[in-house]
Amino acid sequence: MEQLVVEICAGTSCYLLGSQDLIDALETLPPDKRSKIDLRGITCLKACGHGPNVRIKGVVLSNMTPDRLLQAIEDNL
Amino acid sequence: MAQVTEVVKLQRKVLAEVSRLALHDKLADHVEDILTTVVTEDGPRYRCCIHKERAVLKDRINVALSQPIGTDITEAAANALNGEVADGSIVRVLPEACDRCPIDKFMVTDACRNCLAHHCIASCPKKAIMVAGNRAYIDKMTCVECGMCKKSCPYGAIIEISRPCERACDLKAITAAADRRAAIDYDKCAQCGACKIACPFGAISDRTYIVQVIQAIKAKKRVYAIVAPAIVSQFGVKVKLGQVKTALIQFGFHALHEVAFGADIVTLEETKEFAATVPTDRAYMTTSCCPAYVEMVDKHLPQCGEYVSSTVSPMVATARMIKAEDKDAVVVFIGPCIAKKVEGQKNPDCIDYVLTFEELAAMFVGAGINLTEITDTLYETDASRHGHSFASAGGVMKSVIDTAGVLAPDITIKPHRAEGLGNCKQALQQIAKGDLDANFFEGMACVGGCVGGPGTLNDVRITTKMLETHVNATKTVMAPENQKAVDVIEKGGHWHKE
Ligand code: SF4
Ligand code: SF4
Ligand code: FES
Repeated sequence: MEQLVVEICAGTSCYLLGSQDLIDALETLPPDKRSKIDLRGITCLKACGHGPNVRIKGVVLSNMTPDRLLQAIEDNL
Repeated sequence: MAQVTEVVKLQRKVLAEVSRLALHDKLADHVEDILTTVVTEDGPRYRCCIHKERAVLKDRINVALSQPIGTDITEAAANALNGEVADGSIVRVLPEACDRCPIDKFMVTDACRNCLAHHCIASCPKKAIMVAGNRAYIDKMTCVECGMCKKSCPYGAIIEISRPCERACDLKAITAAADRRAAIDYDKCAQCGACKIACPFGAISDRTYIVQVIQAIKAKKRVYAIVAPAIVSQFGVKVKLGQVKTALIQFGFHALHEVAFGADIVTLEETKEFAATVPTDRAYMTTSCCPAYVEMVDKHLPQCGEYVSSTVSPMVATARMIKAEDKDAVVVFIGPCIAKKVEGQKNPDCIDYVLTFEELAAMFVGAGINLTEITDTLYETDASRHGHSFASAGGVMKSVIDTAGVLAPDITIKPHRAEGLGNCKQALQQIAKGDLDANFFEGMACVGGCVGGPGTLNDVRITTKMLETHVNATKTVMAPENQKAVDVIEKGGHWHKE
């Protein structure tokens, strides 16, 4: 099964603006959903200041919130 | 740690912008820019209008610069750049932001019988109660939240709902002032910062020394960063202390020292003090490392003051050691704690400034430093497991018990501990009255210990786990085995409060 790659920026700017909350949100997913996701940390997505940033299927999504991230994953799965 | 809500993000953006401008010598002329860069015309808004949003922002900027609220921000920037710090308390209510919390403190419930006596109406000094729709009605605009009506109603039909900040304060130091804004009673407040984390509007904040520290660095002073042991995983679980050290040096700090080393000194001194004074001079002893806890004892249980250990805190021990070696050192404590800012003010001989992990991260962002892109250089700790364990609740207690096993095996320690100021207060009262059989009491204001402090960036559960791993990986097991700490003590120095 091919997993959906979700890259969460863990760079200091994004981290300060809440990337840890995004990671925590993913970890709360039920196991069957969580197993479909390949979570990768990344050091910078070159959009600092608009963080936290996430890249899914090549698209950088800025100003992410846990809710919006879960929605974006839902839409892409 | 606060959950990173939109308001928390905004607060952090202000700190990062203030740092960026100060680092680029632009703060004096461009501080007004923050009003438009952080709050944009089309950005998210938490207030009725952009003007209100910016008014709140001015309060935030004043607090970030450690200047009195209400100062013109250009003037505030100039003062901060001169190294000035206004007098007064660290934890402040931002009057513009505390928008008379929409929670109605007193509410008439269905239990209201619309009785004939109308005790409520008679009791209200402001005539804020009338009868509408067959029950009492409180006019929110006139109500001053004195609570007389609640007391007067024989049916208990009027209930009190507290605001988030009031609920968070174990010491009942927050009440609504006459204008219904939150007000802190500083005779009761221990400056623990719990209310700051609780307010969903970000209306309570603590003063920062960001600009003053940047100016000291720019003036080419030797600025030492002393970091609290709770630093483990604060900048992300993968970021190591070696990376933080490199980042601090890149930022312009002179050196990094671990407060865990000072905690080893404290463990040794506190154990000796216990052995020498309990039970001969006093029935019990309680810890002195958490400044909010010590402040609580001071303000709420002054009769217990003499039972607080005279040993200085790990922060002060570490700083004194540095100042003894380098008298021109500028010492900056960096930790999870807001109350340490107050403790710093009380120890001007050795502490120049105090920053939180949150503030340091904002400063790194302002400087364009990304910790995850720095190569890790192995950092060798000079502290023992004991010293590192101070960050977590129960750590001090265990360290002293272990150390007593080595230094004073004959004494009997009956330990007890508590987390959270309310719990600490209650337990200490019980020990003082003899209702609780303990002779050594550890008090920590924050739940979980310092890893749960208000200036942290990571979840207390994650940090607790990471700290445990880190402690177990530390080579030196006990404080008495830390030869360097033993030597420093022997050289002499002031490890006790006068
Ligand atoms: S004691 Fe703590 S929660 Fe209460 S007002 Fe002071 S800082 Fe806020
Ligand atoms: S428990 Fe730690 S972080 Fe919390 S107030 Fe005490 S010293 Fe500060
Ligand atoms: S730190 Fe996340 S985009 Fe640069």
